[in-house]
Amino acid sequence: MWDKNTENELRQLVKDSGVRLLEENLVQGTWGNISARLDEDHMLVTPTGLDYNHLTPEDMPIVQISDPSVWSDGKKPTSERKIHAAVLASRPEINVCIHSHPVFATVMASCRMPLPAFSDELREVMGGDVAVGAYGLPGTKKLMEGTVKAIRGRNACFMANHGVFCVGKTMDEAFNVLRVLERNVYAFIQKKTLEKTGGGEYTDEMLFDLFVKSKG
Amino acid sequence: MKNGMDKSTELILEYAKELAKQNVVGTGDCISVRSGAYLIASKADVRLEDLTENDVVKIKMSDAQGEYALHARIYAAKSDASAVCHCHPAWVEPIARCGAVIPAVTDDMTQIVGRNCKTCKNDAGTIAKNLKKRNSTLVAGDGCVTAGRTLNEAVTCVLVLDKAAHCFVASTVLKKNVLINFFEATLMNVIYKMKYSKKNQENLQSEEGSL
Repeated sequence: MWDKNTENELRQLVKDSGVRLLEENLVQGTWGNISARLDEDHMLVTPTGLDYNHLTPEDMPIVQISDPSVWSDGKKPTSERKIHAAVLASRPEINVCIHSHPVFATVMASCRMPLPAFSDELREVMGGDVAVGAYGLPGTKKLMEGTVKAIRGRNACFMANHGVFCVGKTMDEAFNVLRVLERNVYAFIQKKTLEKTGGGEYTDEMLFDLFVKSKG
Repeated sequence: MKNGMDKSTELILEYAKELAKQNVVGTGDCISVRSGAYLIASKADVRLEDLTENDVVKIKMSDAQGEYALHARIYAAKSDASAVCHCHPAWVEPIARCGAVIPAVTDDMTQIVGRNCKTCKNDAGTIAKNLKKRNSTLVAGDGCVTAGRTLNEAVTCVLVLDKAAHCFVASTVLKKNVLINFFEATLMNVIYKMKYSKKNQENLQSEEGSL
């Protein structure tokens, strides 16, 4: 069981972190969701379909980890709560999960390509290469199982044609995972582009020229 | 209301700043909201990042000309639209220039925009017709036009479209796009419109005001 002060602090943290996702363009609109562990069987999550800017800390519902269909307080929880619950249940060392749609990581998700652990930073922060979870419609068991499998032993995974799922012991750690992933995917895209163009200094125009050529 | 500014002007300034912050602005951008028989719009010759209160204009729809006539045509064709964005984001621009189609590369695009986004002829009538049953279109050589139940929704369409364009280009070069199938993309779009976004749009509509 947790005390009310801890709960209130976590509510504020989840609310502020949702706004932070929007401000850093790590998500667009109401997409993406956050969870924070209250105890071994309860988590606070963001509600479904509402703009983070307009949420209050009290809007965050408390969801049972062992049975995510059970929730209380706050507004109706995110439809992806089963993924958060499954990850928190299988990883006792993890206290925070963030699901979002940052631009570069979504590139990998949309071509369903894993990111090799090509830098020390990736090995250190992610725990190795970053896998892609199987595609599934939002809120489905297929998406949940694919994500849980792909993130096993890592701190992040891509969700096919969807976005990313990142975890951490703290909110700051989970945000750091998200930012490191985004930065390294961008570096990877640059590296792959330059391999195809034969070097030089990367520009977005190079990428677009390759795209036009590939389309004939 | 801030400093005597009306609600619509405040909204235009707020979202112009947001589009600039998210780096999806270009030359010739114009955003507007419906206000009865009028439209309140940003001046088409002022970049959104430079927009001030003095650059927001009120125009009678029946007298609208040039860029504003395009917005008026869209409001006439699409009764549920309360806001229109005509923007030129960096990744959308080249795709619109070469007349390509952005396919169903990401979930959020299929939900918010639809199962694809085609490039249409740069003509007000064609654009308005295209937007009748959709909320976004690419315009040959002229960026994209989005329409929303709120300005928030129209702006979100621009952001999601630019991200989908970026993903489409980069993932084509990296490997190969794996697209979301027709059935799932259509299903997600319907669920978003009828259910997922409903409450949020109702909240935003009451906040942005009945336009």
